Amino acid sequence: MQEATFLILTALAAGSQHGYGIIIDVLAISDGRVRLQAGTLYTALARLRTDRLIESDREEIVDNRLRRYYRLTQNGAARLATEASRLHANASAAQARLQPGGALS
Amino acid sequence: MNAAADLERRYRRSLAWYPRAFRREYEEEMLTVLMESARDGQRRPGVAQAADLVRNALWMRLRPGVPRSAPVVFAAVRLMYLGAVVEVMTLITVVLTAGMLRSEILSVDPGFTAAQWQALVWTNLAPLVGGGTMATVVWLWMAWANGRAHRWGRTGFAVFFAITTLSLLNGISQDAAAYAMPDLIAGIALWLVALAAVVLLYTRSSARYFRTPRSI
Repeated sequence: MQEATFLILTALAAGSQHGYGIIIDVLAISDGRVRLQAGTLYTALARLRTDRLIESDREEIVDNRLRRYYRLTQNGAARLATEASRLHANASAAQARLQPGGALS
Repeated sequence: MNAAADLERRYRRSLAWYPRAFRREYEEEMLTVLMESARDGQRRPGVAQAADLVRNALWMRLRPGVPRSAPVVFAAVRLMYLGAVVEVMTLITVVLTAGMLRSEILSVDPGFTAAQWQALVWTNLAPLVGGGTMATVVWLWMAWANGRAHRWGRTGFAVFFAITTLSLLNGISQDAAAYAMPDLIAGIALWLVALAAVVLLYTRSSARYFRTPRSI
């Protein structure tokens, strides 16, 4: 799973959000490192919808502009959980080996 | 004209690169996001932002649109891209070895004239290069069509497979000079790729994929 996809799913794990909300949230989750551009965001959202990992929650009109909210599906939550434990296992392995007394010292 | 209207017009121009079906579903929403992320008084899209829009729009048009729920078709489409790659490699080999072929002929028959060489190129190599180029285009076209769940793509590929089979059989039976050993190997490799792809396209799970309406 690409990092952008992972971060988008993570943003939606806390509840439904609209496009701009996702961008702001991803920026916060990644500690200011990942600023999604609109094109990248919507390519990912369209793909995630096709794969049924997210779905449209509701739409509203604010100042004559359309906002659509997205939420995780059960499939999406399961995929995110799997991916999170995979990354966690990898990260732990790396940290364990880098510590003093690890394989490299 | 005020800055916001200016900016919106420019964003719409960038969004026009996207496929129509995608625009129908997402244009207004993307515009909302773009306008919300704009600075006050901004009149033009940022360079990175505009590049990102165009890049993603082109990707939208070219990418295989096979969902994960259809892994068999996904594999078939990958095989078609593989077919195109093998075809291009064969083409490059043919063009690069043409010079070698000529010096080889000259070493055997020093009387071989430039006119004779040209005739040889035109009767043997040119059709090979032309046919290979056309086949590459068809492989790519079919990968695109099947990736997009176009039903005609499946039929089209079956027809293409039939033609590939016939031309291979024809080549083998003629035992012509044009069908030298490496040529034959490339031909058989391509045929096997096409065979695998056509089998995958006609499995039961693929049939379901071609029946469901295409999503964006």
